[in-house]
Amino acid sequence: MNQISKWIIYTIVALFLLAVPFIMSEFFTTMMVRVLYFSLMAVAFAFLASQIGLVSLAIPAFLGLSGYTIAILETREIMFFPYSAMAAIVVVLFVSAVFGIFANRSKGIYFIMLTLILGQIIWAVARQWASVTNGVNGLIGISTPDAMQFNVFGANVGFYYVILFTFVLIVWAVLALTRSSFGMKLKGIRESESRMIMLGYRVSRLKWVAFVISSLVAGIAGVFFVYFVGVMHPSAIDLDSSAMVLIAGIFGGVYSIIGAVLGMSIVQTLEVVLNAYTQRYLIIIGIMFLLVVIYAPKGLMGLIYKNKYMKSLYDKWYKGRKDS
Amino acid sequence: MWMTVIDGITMAALLFIIAVGLNLSFALLRVANLAHGALYLFGAYVGYSVMSYTESWLLAIVVGGLATALLALLLEFFLLRKVRGDNLRETLVTLSVAIILADVMIVIWGGSPMSIPYPDLLQGPLIMGDVIVPKLSLFILGFAIVIGTLLWMLLNKTKIGMIIRAGVDDYEMVAALGTNIRLVFTSMFVLAGFLAGIVGVVGGSHLIVSPEEDWRILTYALLIIILGGMGSFGGSVVAALIMGMIYSFGSLYVPEFQLFLMFTPVALVLIFKPKGLFGRGLE
Repeated sequence: MNQISKWIIYTIVALFLLAVPFIMSEFFTTMMVRVLYFSLMAVAFAFLASQIGLVSLAIPAFLGLSGYTIAILETREIMFFPYSAMAAIVVVLFVSAVFGIFANRSKGIYFIMLTLILGQIIWAVARQWASVTNGVNGLIGISTPDAMQFNVFGANVGFYYVILFTFVLIVWAVLALTRSSFGMKLKGIRESESRMIMLGYRVSRLKWVAFVISSLVAGIAGVFFVYFVGVMHPSAIDLDSSAMVLIAGIFGGVYSIIGAVLGMSIVQTLEVVLNAYTQRYLIIIGIMFLLVVIYAPKGLMGLIYKNKYMKSLYDKWYKGRKDS
Repeated sequence: MWMTVIDGITMAALLFIIAVGLNLSFALLRVANLAHGALYLFGAYVGYSVMSYTESWLLAIVVGGLATALLALLLEFFLLRKVRGDNLRETLVTLSVAIILADVMIVIWGGSPMSIPYPDLLQGPLIMGDVIVPKLSLFILGFAIVIGTLLWMLLNKTKIGMIIRAGVDDYEMVAALGTNIRLVFTSMFVLAGFLAGIVGVVGGSHLIVSPEEDWRILTYALLIIILGGMGSFGGSVVAALIMGMIYSFGSLYVPEFQLFLMFTPVALVLIFKPKGLFGRGLE
């Protein structure tokens, strides 16, 4: 595949994404927005999983942190957009900086367990601190800021465009980061932590920075989540959502950021389709997850990368060399 | 005041039995069994059904334990053995089983909270001087002591215990010396499942049985394991006591930050002694 056809494909995809609100139904556009903000969480997850090999279950906790910060500030009329969103990002950065210190002290399954606990703590505070977070009733009535509600050709596409551009920007930034020297160091840690320490890198600081970056991406997802849904409820950040992010990441393949986006689209579509038939769609998603873990541990992207061209792309992006 | 202490000890006793099973299977198999909470809840629901059919609490405990042990056996034999050796995949398998099981339980037993009725013999308080102790709390404490003692004897006084302790330290060496380590793995996992099942029935009588309870219990158990140290029996006892006390005093004085408070000792331990209070630091 040469350069020109590559750019043609990119242009077609970009045009299609821009045209979605006009050519597709409103349901599809809503679905796209939903997939986009959940995909940001999947990107946050895949960044940690693919670069340092740490599987985090605390990703939705940071979505919850920024969502709750905005919800609390706006329902109490303390601050409004864009200051509330800024405050939310500051809170996310602060908490992830603290959590990162703890999380750094573990790896492998210990990291999974620790992030599970950290996520459960945010969830518990959201649920128990009723005087501020309104407990199980959740906070309602957060309205989308005017800045995200402009019209193009008479269609209200503001929110979709804002989230689409943010999404593309973040994915591009994260992919660029994985190819930077920082990303290379992280991959070095993934392959052999002790060797990286021996070579004189500040391993725990690098891990900490990666953790904060991943949390920041999840926090940005939270800003869009709360403005789009308008409701902040503890169930948005419970363990089922952690599991959903994890499932999406594994579906797509643990070592791929694009795969995580793909996986999240599949999981979200499945959820909506199955929800029409049964309330207990998690059984089906769970069984599919089980099958993927047992029989196709590299996920969807593992199958795609069997293609030679895709394999060279994979090597270029994730291993830092052009030919394998 | 006394009431809170007793409540804390009761909770500690329950959490100890849950955590010690998880801890042992974790230290031996190196699998963070995220389905442990779901197994607890499964035991509780089975116990509830048995209780409503036969009216026998003891039978409910036994059947709940056995049913959960069977489920753990199936999980280990048919799923975990397929991915043996890859810690991450093993953990993901247990997580997916936990998700599936949680939803299956909602389908079978419904989503509304319930409580397992327990016999009249254990109803009501026991008055000892100025201290009033609910009989059920006393029973749970005795139950935990009996199970803890039995487990301790199994681990420290028998040949099986010797193999298990050796397996915790270096299972490859144990296998090389001619022990069927896979059988030991399976039986420990089943034992952990059995413990989760029986404590599910007892805990279901003391607390409530409802969906989401599985993750709550799992979080407590993981907190205890990290606080006490991986694979440490004594560590589980001490950590369960600390957690039980924070649980009961926290829900009395600062109900809004109760779970948050439970995290504090774990955070301190992770900063000053990352291997846990009594852990030997398995890697």
